[in-house]
Formats: sequence, structure tokens, C-alpha cells
Amino acid sequence: MNQPELSKKFRPGESIIQSLLFLAGILSIFITLAIVYELGKEALLFFNDPDVTLGKFFGTTKWQPGIGQYGIWALVSATLTTSAIAVLISLPLGLASAVYLSEYASPKARSILKPILEILAGIPTVVYGYFALLFVTPILKSIFGDGIQVYNMLSAGLVMGIMILPLISSMSEDALSAVPRSLREGAYAMGATKFETSAQVALPAALSGIGAAIIIGVSRAVGETMIVAVAAGSGPNFSFNPLEAAETMTGHIARISGGDLSYNSIDYTSLFAIALMLFLVTLVLNLISQWVVKRFREQYE
Amino acid sequence: MSKTVRSFLFVIVAMSLLLAACGAPAATEVPVVEEPATAPAEPTTAPEPTAVPTEEDPMAMYAPDAVEGDVVTAGSSTVFPLSERMAELFQQEGFAGNVTVDSIGSGGGFERFCVAGETDIANASRGIKDSEVEACKAIGREPIEIRVGTDALAVVMSAENDFVTSLSKEQLGKILIGEFTTWNQVDAAYPAEKIEVYSPGADSGTFDFMVESVVAKALPKVDDKDDVKGAEEKLLGLEGAQFSEDDNVLVQGVNGSPYAIGYFGFAYYVENQGTLKAVAIDDVEPNQESVDAGEYPLARPLFIYSDAKILAEKTQVAAFIYFYLNNVNDNIVDVGYFPAPAADFQASVDALMAAVSK
Repeated sequence: MNQPELSKKFRPGESIIQSLLFLAGILSIFITLAIVYELGKEALLFFNDPDVTLGKFFGTTKWQPGIGQYGIWALVSATLTTSAIAVLISLPLGLASAVYLSEYASPKARSILKPILEILAGIPTVVYGYFALLFVTPILKSIFGDGIQVYNMLSAGLVMGIMILPLISSMSEDALSAVPRSLREGAYAMGATKFETSAQVALPAALSGIGAAIIIGVSRAVGETMIVAVAAGSGPNFSFNPLEAAETMTGHIARISGGDLSYNSIDYTSLFAIALMLFLVTLVLNLISQWVVKRFREQYE
Repeated sequence: MSKTVRSFLFVIVAMSLLLAACGAPAATEVPVVEEPATAPAEPTTAPEPTAVPTEEDPMAMYAPDAVEGDVVTAGSSTVFPLSERMAELFQQEGFAGNVTVDSIGSGGGFERFCVAGETDIANASRGIKDSEVEACKAIGREPIEIRVGTDALAVVMSAENDFVTSLSKEQLGKILIGEFTTWNQVDAAYPAEKIEVYSPGADSGTFDFMVESVVAKALPKVDDKDDVKGAEEKLLGLEGAQFSEDDNVLVQGVNGSPYAIGYFGFAYYVENQGTLKAVAIDDVEPNQESVDAGEYPLARPLFIYSDAKILAEKTQVAAFIYFYLNNVNDNIVDVGYFPAPAADFQASVDALMAAVSK
């Protein structure tokens, strides 16, 4: 008697597609590993230089490799200050616009406002940089007078905040839309006002998504190069005063590699050490975001 | 779609295809028509040199529209506007290739010319160092020095500043090593505001020149010689100073505050004369007369460097340098610098001719 073939039919087309997709997935891992390898290789040359010690790298606050000063904090402080200002601007505004667009806006208003917000996301960062230098800085000068320098961290931070506003806003809005209607309807049924529902029911429920949005915004701000290269300053300066000029990690890499460096000179290898630090900071932020998402998701679902 | 809309669209598409088909041959015809127009114009403008030999025959092969290929130059931000102007004119005269000029500092330019061997011409606002000559020889290049002009290094402040008109070399040196941090230390009559310094970075020839001629003199001598290394360290470590190879960044910075001081090539000052003012050094203002008379203390030569082998292999580079020397004296004042002294200029012309006729 002919037994019907019950095992899974072998379809060669499906196997090929599966392996191609697998390769695509592997490619991103491979590229990440390749980047880490390249950065690590050159950064190792930097740390192997007899003049450079980990103590100097993490312990001092002046960065001028040409004359033997290797304190990374001079650059990290500027990165932290500009990113902090950017997040302080974009977080409240982004959340507020997300709440408005998802809870309060009529479909017509949403259809007009959302595309305009997307335009902000599409403006090239070099344009933002010159906007900061030529428009925002004079306004700040009229407020602060001579207390603020032409190149300063405040105007770069403000404009960075404007740049990451659409990012935080759209991701938070997606998170808020994903909150089940039943939660909201339950709140209304209990007599809550619209604002109470948005702020005390919907927002906490969407917290994991909003947390992810914040961390992505911070990563973007930390890695931003053109705005700080144009507007924040071109001299490493260990300072948390936003009215002063200071150079961030990314701005320093952009400026120094724009001149010309001999291979294996200390300036050249130091760039890779800075890039590695930047990579590690972003990696740590991503890990924190994943932990935040996992933790808060457990509580509200 | 309704029938009328569809037929209308069909007509539009058909017409655009027709126009494209007709436009293409017309587009290719145009350059052919233009070429003969530029060729007769060229001989009347090129051989007008004051010092270059006018033998048409051997140099006709170096006419701008007779050579092809690209010319790659890089180096001093000071020489950049001059080389850029020459490149523009060269292309206007019918050169079909690309002339790239990168502004990365004299040190960066020599790096690319002598170590990486990537460029055909190095622009410099200082003489080539022995170590750089060695590096060039190691890759088989012998640099030929060609003097193209003179720069009066301008020490600038914002036009809003109303208390500084002149600084002595000593005062400038002390500002740059950090001994004077506020203006009232420079002169008791000046306000007690922080001095903001904007300087080219360590790759820049302007930086090297300032270190050697002003900053090193403000430090005590080491072994009876000027302490150039120490001066470089002091300037690079200057608290709050902003460094950039791009002189436009420095212009922005100095513009922004009446207490800011910066220095760069004279051309950048000329471009921004409305918002900047040039400080007199030792009471001598930088201008044509003081440079010609040799009185301005911060006058320095401008060079381009190439190599005989490059000139032989790439005739477009020889053509460019030949064109450069023919036309630089007519355009240099407009760019913002000053012509080189006649003897030095003639020596450069002779060097080029010797290299080309090898």
C-alpha cells in the first residue's frame, strides 16, 4: 500500500530564501564586530604608546596629544553637557507633543502637524549647525551679553534638542497609541478627566516605549557631530558651564581628521581611542535601554 | 482616468521624449562649437608674462586647453584662496580636468606630498622643513620650491573693539603663552576682560610661523637657541584657546567678541574688513607699503612645491604652475596678499623652467 508522504515537502526555493535572509541578519553582526575590531586594533596602538597611561587617560582633564596631555574627560564633559541640554529641551517638548498628537488632536490637526514634525527630522545636521552659530548664538548673546562666547555649548545643545525632538515625539506617540483602549476606557468610566487619563494612565502604561525613545534620543545626541563641530567650539575644555566653548568627542574627531595626520602618529591613534570610548558609551546606553524596557514592561502588562 | 486626461498625458510624455531626443544632439554639439571660440582667445591672454620666456613653441604644449588630467593640490589655508583663484582662472582658460585645492595646513600639505605621495603640489606658508625633505626623498620626490607671493600675517580683533590699536611683539608673545590672561595686564588702561585667543591649529604653517617668530621669543632661550618646542607646548596648552585649520572658523570667533584676538593670512582679513580690524604690530600697520619696505614684522613668504618627475609625467601640473606664475602677480593683490620680491619670483620661474626642460 502506498504510504502518503507525511514529512515536510522539500522546497528548494524556500531554503534559498531562508539562507539569504539569514545572511542579511548575520551581516549586521559581522559589520559590528568588524568595526569593534578595527577601532580596538588602532586604539591598542594608542594605549601601547609609552607616553600614554590609563591613569592619564581617565585621570587628567586636559586633552592635547601633541604635547602629551591625554585626559579624555576634557572631551567627555563637553559631550555630556551638550547631550544633557539637548535631552532637557527635547524630552518635555517631545512628550508634550506626543501626548497632544495622540490624545487631544483631531485627525485633521494630526495630519497637518505630524508631517511638519517629520520635516524637522529631515533637515541636514550641518544646516542645524550653522543655524545654531548664526541665529541662536546672537539671540543668546543679546540675553547673556558678554558672558557667553561665540562658540558655546548652550546653542549647540539647544539646536540638538530641536533635532532629536521629532525622534522622541514620534516614538513616544507610537508607544502611547499602543496602550490598549480598554485601559483608557476604564479610566474614563471611573470618572477621570482627559488629562488625568493621559498623564496617570496612558503615560505610565507606555513608559517602556517612552524610555526606549529617550535612550535612542540620548544616543543620537551623544553621537551628533556636525552641530557641535560648527557651533560648540574647537578647543578641548574641561567645563560643565554651557556658556563656554568646548569641544566634544565627535567634534574633535571631525576637526583633527579634517587636517592631515601621519599614520601611527599619536594624534592619529588617539582618534581611535576616542571613537572606541564613544562606541562604548553608546553601547552602555543601549544596554540600559533594553534593561529599562524589560523591567517596566513586566510591571504594566 | 478619463479619456481626455489620458490622451493629454500621452501628448505630454510624447513631447518630452521628443524634446529629449532633440536636446541630446544639441547638447553634444554645444561644446564642439565652444572649443574653437576659446582656442583663439587663449594665445592672446596667456603669453603676457613679465619675466617668463616667451618661446611659444616649447611652452605651447602647456596651454590650459592642450593638457588633460587632474591636478591635486593641498596644504596651507593661507595659500588656499590664491591657489583657488588660479585654479578658477585656469579652468576658465579651457582646462578640461579638475584642480582640487584642499585647505589642511602647511604641515598637512607636506604630509600628503612627502609621506603619502597623494598630491601633485603642496601649498605652504612656510619653508619646507629638513625632515619633510627627507620624507620626500624617501618616496622618490625632490621638492622644488616656487615662491608665489608674500603674506602680511594679520593679527585681528573685532571692529567693535575700541581700545587696542597696536601691540608690540613682546605683548603678543606674552598673550600667546598665557602670561597675560586679561586685557588690563597688557596695558593698565584696557578693561579687565578675559583675552579670548583664536589660533590656527598645529598643522598650520601660520601656527608654525607665529610660534617661531613671536611666541618662542617670549620664552627664555634653551641652549642659546629659541625654545620653539616649549613655545608650541605653551600655545597649544593655552587655557580657553580655540584652534582650527579653517580660518573662517577663526573669523567667526573673532567677530563674536570685542575681547577676542586671532591671527591668520591677510586675505581673510581683507575679505572681512567690515567687521574686523588689523592690529598694528610694533606700530607698523600691515599694508602694501610696509610689506614692500620690509618694515612689517610679520611678513612671510608663500610657496608652492612640486617635483620634477611629477612635472614630466603629468604635463597638466606643469601647465598649471606655468599658468600660476604667469598670472599670480596680476591677481594676488585682489586675493589679498602681496607680490613676491622680484628676485625671488625670478628664481622661482627659473626653477620651474629648469625642472620642465629636464
